[in-house]
Amino acid sequence: MQITYAQALGDAIKEEMRQDYSIMVYGEDVAEHGGIFGVTRGILEEFGSERIKNTPISETAIVGSAIGAAMTGMRPCVELMYADFMLVAFNELFHCCGKWRYLHGPEYKLPLVVRCAMGYSFGAGAEHSNCFESLFMHAPGVTIICPSNPYDAKGLLKSAIRSDNPVLCFEHKQLYKVKAEIPKEEYTVPLGIAEIKRAGTDVTIIAISLMVREAMSAAKELAKAGISAEVIDPRTLVPFDKEAVLRSVKKTHRAVIVEESNKRMGIGAEIAAMIQEEMIDELDAPIMRVASLDVPLPYSLKLEAYSVPNPHKIVEAVKSML
Amino acid sequence: MKYDKAFLEGLYKELLTLRMTEEKLVEIYALGKVPGHIHSGVGEEAAFVGTLATKHEGDYYKGHHRLIAAVHMMGISLEEIFAEILGKETGTSGGRGGVNHIADLNKGVIGTAGSLGCDMVVSVGAALSAKYFNNGRLVYSYYGDGTSSRGSLHEAMNLAAIWKLPILFVCTNNQFAISTHESTTIPVSNPGADRASAYGMLAKVADGTDVLAVYEATKELTEYIRSGNGPAVLETKCYRWRGHFEGDQTKYRSAEEAECQRQNCCIKKLEGYLLEHGVMTKEDMDFEKKDLEVRLEQAVAFAEESPEPKAEEIFRNLYV
Repeated sequence: MQITYAQALGDAIKEEMRQDYSIMVYGEDVAEHGGIFGVTRGILEEFGSERIKNTPISETAIVGSAIGAAMTGMRPCVELMYADFMLVAFNELFHCCGKWRYLHGPEYKLPLVVRCAMGYSFGAGAEHSNCFESLFMHAPGVTIICPSNPYDAKGLLKSAIRSDNPVLCFEHKQLYKVKAEIPKEEYTVPLGIAEIKRAGTDVTIIAISLMVREAMSAAKELAKAGISAEVIDPRTLVPFDKEAVLRSVKKTHRAVIVEESNKRMGIGAEIAAMIQEEMIDELDAPIMRVASLDVPLPYSLKLEAYSVPNPHKIVEAVKSML
Repeated sequence: MKYDKAFLEGLYKELLTLRMTEEKLVEIYALGKVPGHIHSGVGEEAAFVGTLATKHEGDYYKGHHRLIAAVHMMGISLEEIFAEILGKETGTSGGRGGVNHIADLNKGVIGTAGSLGCDMVVSVGAALSAKYFNNGRLVYSYYGDGTSSRGSLHEAMNLAAIWKLPILFVCTNNQFAISTHESTTIPVSNPGADRASAYGMLAKVADGTDVLAVYEATKELTEYIRSGNGPAVLETKCYRWRGHFEGDQTKYRSAEEAECQRQNCCIKKLEGYLLEHGVMTKEDMDFEKKDLEVRLEQAVAFAEESPEPKAEEIFRNLYV
């Protein structure tokens, strides 16, 4: 059956809620309204107002209370609407979610998921388009997933809800309506395992979230020019499937990292550093990063498109390495 | 007399334990034995002892950076407390959390955030689960007059109030946020109680140096909360006897004022009451003090003799 990325996420939550009473959903406009992107539609009708609640505009309280609820037996799956609003709860996410168990002891399990919508979506501007994964990659103790398609969205979110540690789920706004065929039977996608989306021999393109689509388009273009690109979707940024990337680069000897957030101090910088630390001798060219320009994402559609990565920019980056 | 002897003796022993533990902490800090920073809670013990005297089995506790010894009332031993303070393997988190994070979830201690106030929203989450599972548990969540201005506290109170969660917010008002007196940063007279009204919460103010007054006020509020009426606020008025941290020269207030306030001592007050009502004699009290001195010496010795955490185990309790 074909379902959308948003439905896949919603189905993951509902399937888990049917199996586990300790799961509760809350956030802004998630109940009757079903979330502003429609992910939590139908949960109120099926599970009742005890298990899904609207909150005030209080991101700090949403994340903080999820921590307290998680350590005392619940498995909260909360929504922050836009990833941009994570900064309002930065302390709770960075200090509390990530560090609490380390600081207080192993019995402080925090089985909680914080879901949020990230990425550019045509004119949403500088405060509703951010990709903040790299900020939280810097926080020890936080698992980060960023599904690039409906299959992974469902499977990863189910694994996240079952995890005993805090998970941040970055969902891309442009992907919510993307449809794909997914199995009727229950399945999960394990945390920390990358997927090779396309095998190749000349260059490894590591792409995150929506950028997987851009990288796949670029790979097709490159194929026309006789260049064979391997595309890897890490799916989980923390823990990061380092082995999958290193195996690929050992084969291709070239790596490009494509991410939608600003280039400076981004995910690409971390992955590039990791690759060269481990296998500088394997590299036939400098590692390239394709990322958004280091500007607040402009409102103008023309400037927005100029800032973000696209297949053409990826093709150019690859060609410059050969 | 409206209280039974065992109850009063219990209160006295807890007050003494907290006082003498905090004094011991100051003493070993001055000797250079403590790796981190400490914030003495000497003089503010009654706020914790009077409130926690109403707790039931299974209730949750969220303290703050001052009067860390209060976790003893939740059942954490003096040995574990000092071991964590000294950063030792035998501490509650094996020296990974330190002074501000002495905790044991199995005893209802939910932990503390170093950025004051962030844990107020965490404590509301424990109250959410208590209500969700309908397990009758109540959360005692402590904060200071300084923290009363943090947004996270207000979000915590708002959420607790709309969802009618079983939590008692306790504002231990010692008048100072490091060097800043409450009168210069807080536009109301009672930073705990007055602000509670914005969330429609029941609130009371008690003399934080009178353990029985704190107990009576808490009893009323916790009965109200346990009946399903939602959260409430207790504000305990007291005075921070020492500096914010050890080494604070307290130039922002006069020595005379501080000395005068120290006369308003919760232990002396309870001792007067106990003597007057013939509950304990001076000899009984001296015996308790001597006994505690020995136990504290032993606890510190245990901590000092305990091993340091192993470097190769630095990632323990970290999962990604």
